[in-house]
Amino acid sequence: MAEQFYTVASDSENTGDDKVQSAFPDLAIGIDIGTSKCSVAIWNGTQVELLRNPRNQKLMRSYVMFKDDSPSGGVSEELAHGEQEIFSGSAVFNMKRLVGRVDTDPVVHASKTLPFLVQTLDIGVRPFIAALVNNVWRSTTPEEVLAIFLVELKAMAEVQLKRRIRTAILTIPVSFSRFQKTRIERACAMAGLHVLRLMPEPTSVALLYAQQQQLSLHENMGSGIEKVALIFNMGAGYCDVAITATAGGVSQIKALLGCTMGGEDILQNVLCHLLPNFDTFCADHSMDKIKSMGLLRIATQDAIHKLSSQPSVIINVDLGDGNKVCKTLNRSEFEEVNSKLFEKCEKLIMQCLVDAKFTAEDINDVILVGGCSNILKIRSLVLGLCKRENLYEGIDLLEAAVCGAALEGAVASGISDPSGSLDLLTIQATPLSLGIRADGDGFAAIINRNTAIPARKDMLFTTAHDNQMEALIVVYEGEGKKVEENHLLGYFKITGIPPAPKGTAEISVCMDIDASDVLRVLAGVVLPGTQNAVSPFIEVRMPTLGDGHGWCAQALAKMYGSSLDLATIPKKLQQ
Amino acid sequence: MITLSSLACSEFLGARIPTPFGSPICALRSSPRCAALHAPATAAAMATLYDVLGIAAGATGGEVKAAYRRLARECHPDVVAADRKGASADEFMRIHAAYATLSNPEKRADYDRRLAAAAATAIGRQQWSPRGPRPFPSSSSSPSVATSFSGFRRRTWETDQCW
Repeated sequence: MAEQFYTVASDSENTGDDKVQSAFPDLAIGIDIGTSKCSVAIWNGTQVELLRNPRNQKLMRSYVMFKDDSPSGGVSEELAHGEQEIFSGSAVFNMKRLVGRVDTDPVVHASKTLPFLVQTLDIGVRPFIAALVNNVWRSTTPEEVLAIFLVELKAMAEVQLKRRIRTAILTIPVSFSRFQKTRIERACAMAGLHVLRLMPEPTSVALLYAQQQQLSLHENMGSGIEKVALIFNMGAGYCDVAITATAGGVSQIKALLGCTMGGEDILQNVLCHLLPNFDTFCADHSMDKIKSMGLLRIATQDAIHKLSSQPSVIINVDLGDGNKVCKTLNRSEFEEVNSKLFEKCEKLIMQCLVDAKFTAEDINDVILVGGCSNILKIRSLVLGLCKRENLYEGIDLLEAAVCGAALEGAVASGISDPSGSLDLLTIQATPLSLGIRADGDGFAAIINRNTAIPARKDMLFTTAHDNQMEALIVVYEGEGKKVEENHLLGYFKITGIPPAPKGTAEISVCMDIDASDVLRVLAGVVLPGTQNAVSPFIEVRMPTLGDGHGWCAQALAKMYGSSLDLATIPKKLQQ
Repeated sequence: MITLSSLACSEFLGARIPTPFGSPICALRSSPRCAALHAPATAAAMATLYDVLGIAAGATGGEVKAAYRRLARECHPDVVAADRKGASADEFMRIHAAYATLSNPEKRADYDRRLAAAAATAIGRQQWSPRGPRPFPSSSSSPSVATSFSGFRRRTWETDQCW
C-alpha cells in the first residue's frame, strides 16, 4: 500500500496550547492506543502532560471513518462523528482486538457482530475487514486503520509541540504475541513513527507508581524497603494483571499475565442476553440491521455505564421489523450474565500472585486502571482477592498507562531531571514463555515467562532419528504444553549434524532477549560433551513470519513430517 | 522427556561471537559508573554471587535487594551509553542471576553449601582465593577470558536461577 496516501501535512490549525516547548528535540512521546479510546502524552520538562485534540479532548475515540476518499480518524475532526455514524458500518474500530490475528481466532469471530465487515474464511490468514463507503464494502486491514489513526495522533502532537515527532513508546496488552507486536510496529512505521519500545500496559502503570513512590519516599532510596503493588488493568479489549516491587525508583516486574477479555466482551454478553439471536441478527449486514444494531449497542453501552451508579436501568430500543428490546436490567442480572468473565478475572489475579510468589498479605497497594475499573463487581473482586478495603489513590484510571509511557519516553530518550523524578528504571519480565518444538508436538520452554529482561538461556537438544543430518528449529511463544496451543514465531534449519545414532548428537539452542525486547535465536551443533561448535551457528531474529502464519506449521509438517524433529535431553545428561 | 535444565552458554557464545547481540536502539544516557566493573577479569570465574552484588556473605535479605537495585541502576542496558549495551546486558544478567539465588532463602542455603564445598576443594588445590579481588567476568568484552570458562562445569547454578 502506498505510504504517501497516509501522510498528513502538519498544517492543521494551531490550538494555542503553547506550553510545551521543544527543549528536547528527540523526546519520544507516549501513546496509548486503546480498543475504545486513545491518548498521547509527553514529558514537558517538569511533568507528564496529556495532549488535547482540537475538540479539547485528552481521550479520543479510536476509530477511522471511511466516508469518502480520505479516511479520517477520531483525532483531528473538528466535529465529532456521532455514535450512530460510528456504528453505521463506515467506521472501523476495535483495531487493537483484530491486529495480528488470523481468521481462525475466536476473537476475530466474535468481532463479526460489529457494524463494519469482518469476514473469515477460517484458513489461518489475516481476516478480511471492510468499511462501507458509498454503499460499497471497501477493504482495509487492521494495520492500515491503525496507521491512519497514528498519522493523525502524530500530526496533532507535532502541531502542539512545534517539532517533528519521530519516536514513540506505545503501550500494548500483556497477552500480545511477538507477532502482534510486529504488526503494531508495522503500523507505526507506516505512520512514520519509530517505536522505541512497546510497554505492556500494567508495567507502564508500574513505572508511574514507582515515580510517585520515589517522590513521596525519597529517604527510602537504597534502603531496600520495597513496596509491592498489584495492578489490574481492564479496558475495552484486554485484561492484564501485573505485580511490581518498587523501591528507589526501580520498578521490578515480578509477574504479569493477561488475556483478551474486556468491556467489549461484557457488552457482547449483555447484548446476547437482551437479544438471544444476537449472533445471527445482523449476519446479512443489511443497512437496516446495522442501523438497529448500532442503536442497541449505544443503548446497552449506556446502560452498563449507568449500572455503576444505579441498581437498575431500562433499555428500550426499536429494532424494526417488529423486533423490539424493552427490558429492565438490574445489577445482579448484569453480574450473572458476566459471571464467567468475572471468574476469569479472579483466576488471572490468583495465578499472577502465585507466579510472583506472593500472597495477598504481601501486597501494599492495589491499583485499578482501565475503563472497566468503574464496574462495581470488578472493584469488589479485586479488593476481595487482595484482602484490601481501599484502592490506591493518586492514579487516574484512564490516563495512567499513557503517563507511564511518556515517562518511559523521557527516560529512554536520556532526559534527566534535577529533581530526580526521572531517575527511574523498569526491570521488565517476559509475559509469555519462549521455546521450540521438541519430542513430537511438545513445547520445550527455554525462557520461562516472568524471566527478567534482558535474558539469555540455552538448552541442549538431540536428534530424533538415527543418522539425522538436519533439524528444524521451530520457535513458539506461549504456555501450552503442545505447540499448537502456542503462537508460532518462526523456524529455521540446522544442517551438518554428524551422522550418529539418534539421541547422541547435541544441538544447542540459545534464546536471547535484549533490553529492547528483541528476540534472537541462536542454534547449532556442538561436539557431544563439549561446548565447541561443529560449524558456525545460525542466528535468527524472531519473529520471522509474514501474514499466512497459520499455514506455516502445517506446511512444514506436510513437507517434512517428523524427519527433522528434535528431542529434549534428560536433565542429568545435559552436561 | 521434557527437561528444563540449561547450560551456561554465555561464555562460549562470547568466545565464538564477540558481540553476538548488539542493541540497535540508542539510549543517550552516558554512565561512567560501571567502570569499576571492568577491571581485568583474571579471577573472574571465581567470583562468588556475593562478590557480584558487592555484599558480605552474611548480608540480610534487605541488603541483597538494595544491592541489586543499586547495581541495576548502574548496569541495566536502559541506563548505560549506547555503545555499552551489549556488555551491560551481560553484566545485568549476571547481577540478576546472583540476586535470584541470594534473594531466595532455599536457593541461597543451597548455594552457600556448594560454595563451602567448592572452597574446600579449591583451596586444597590452591586454585582459588576467597579473599582475592573478584571483578565481574565480562565474557562478551573479553573473549580470551571466556575461553577459559569452557571447562568450568559447575556454573550452571548461576543461570539456572534466572527466573
